[in-house]
Amino acid sequence: MIRFDQVTKRYPSGHEALDELSFELAAGEMAFVTGHSGAGKSTLLKLIGLIERPTRGSVSVNGQNLHGLRRRRIPELRRGIGMVFQDHRLLMDRSVYDNVALPLIIAGLAREEIAKRVRAALDKVGLLERERSAPITLSTGEQQRVGIARAIVAKPSVLIADEPTGNLDPQLSNEIMRLFADFQQVGTTVLVASHDLPLVKRMGKRVLVLDHGRLLDDWRPGGG
Amino acid sequence: MFGNKPGGNRLKPAPAAPRAAERAPPRRRLALSSWRDQHLYSLFSSLGRLLARPWATALTALVMGLALALPLLFLILLDNARALSGGWQDAREITVFLKPGVDASASAALAQALRGRADVAAVKQTTPEQGIEEFRAMSGFADALEVLQFNPLPHVLVVTPAAARELDEPAVIAELRRDPQVDLVQYDAAWRRRLGAILGLSQRSVLVLAGLLAMATLLVVGNTVRLDIQARAEEIAVIQLIGASPGFVRRPFLYTGVWYGLFSGVLALVVVFSVQWALRTPVDQLLASYDHRFHLRGLEPLAALSVPFVSAVLGWLGAMLATARHLAEAHPD
Repeated sequence: MIRFDQVTKRYPSGHEALDELSFELAAGEMAFVTGHSGAGKSTLLKLIGLIERPTRGSVSVNGQNLHGLRRRRIPELRRGIGMVFQDHRLLMDRSVYDNVALPLIIAGLAREEIAKRVRAALDKVGLLERERSAPITLSTGEQQRVGIARAIVAKPSVLIADEPTGNLDPQLSNEIMRLFADFQQVGTTVLVASHDLPLVKRMGKRVLVLDHGRLLDDWRPGGG
Repeated sequence: MFGNKPGGNRLKPAPAAPRAAERAPPRRRLALSSWRDQHLYSLFSSLGRLLARPWATALTALVMGLALALPLLFLILLDNARALSGGWQDAREITVFLKPGVDASASAALAQALRGRADVAAVKQTTPEQGIEEFRAMSGFADALEVLQFNPLPHVLVVTPAAARELDEPAVIAELRRDPQVDLVQYDAAWRRRLGAILGLSQRSVLVLAGLLAMATLLVVGNTVRLDIQARAEEIAVIQLIGASPGFVRRPFLYTGVWYGLFSGVLALVVVFSVQWALRTPVDQLLASYDHRFHLRGLEPLAALSVPFVSAVLGWLGAMLATARHLAEAHPD
């Protein structure tokens, strides 16, 4: 569950990325955030992972108000959120397996459990055979799928993705978005930022349209 | 593009996805084994990282190793100087030359009086006849002594004061100097005190030097770790984004510091033992002139063992300082 209540974010430069934004995403719901570049999509996602803090208003994730969250509790919050980045941000000096295993090592799971879960996650994104490869040897689409495997390997309750298909061709983009829809199927709350409106529309999910940090439209499938 | 991939490389349908029911368990329950796993992971990943750049690592460890070896060598030198001077330090006797006119009975009476004192441990009487015999035996002036018409030596008392504080002059000396029967009181305290002071000063200097060089090694580790942090800024950012605690982020850098410390400690020992080995022959020749009454004292086994341990602690401390400062700097909340 993600809830924004009158959230304003103004950067030190004076740029106002979000302006009195309010919306709510139910647990297990999937939505897209779309809008022109600079509309505040990335900022919205950053506030969920506490990469940024709001200037005003409150954000809560899974019923927890992030406003009062102490700095030392942030890692714990982030372990419950899977994050996918446009440039995937894999560690290039480690194998695919090691990249995906990282969240589980951080969470302190036993080695056998880590192996099991990493293979399941890689299997899910169709890269089980590449577990020993270096990320650099993979195609852009494959790298992004490794990034997704890393985001979901710890079975987070919330999955957020910032332009996950930004560097991919339409067909690959479609596959990636289907993958996110699959995670919603198993109960994960999914929020994906994308400027690719036609693709977003095709998915038939809820769409939040941002414009200059304001909520311009909240489109729901089935005539909302 | 996707469709052309071999079967195992394709996206699987939904049923393979993790089930909501088996979602992440509470992370508080960190079992001991996984805590150990995390440490082993940091320990070996940091070691692997160091060994991937053997020359840079060796150079850093060598700088630190030399900085640690220097005070160790000085300490060994000082230890030997102390052992050499130890024989002289025991010379506490006061030599009392009586006036020429004082005869044997007066000498004996004075010796008896001195023996009665609490601050005197022993008194040895030497008659002029005994004195000239000693002189004859020791000095090689036997022939010259033959020419003497009479024995010019006075009665001599050698007084051993009771063990007192090292630096104080025994009170008995002042009293003997006032005694009209006494011609001269010879007490070689001044040069002994001077030697003691020189050794004390040297020891203090070596300790100060050791402190400064320890600080230098701390800075070398700190700077190396700082560069490492800068080089791995992206990695640090990523693992922080996926929920790594500050401790988890810090740990590999701390282990890096410990490894540097260990390597440099071992190198310092190699340097010290090499120097000992290289100096052995000339030192043996020098000691031969002392009739082998002294032995070269090397680094003791326990002290040698503690060197890598201490240097590892130094490395850890240097890395701690660097991470405290630069990790916070790199990622302000």
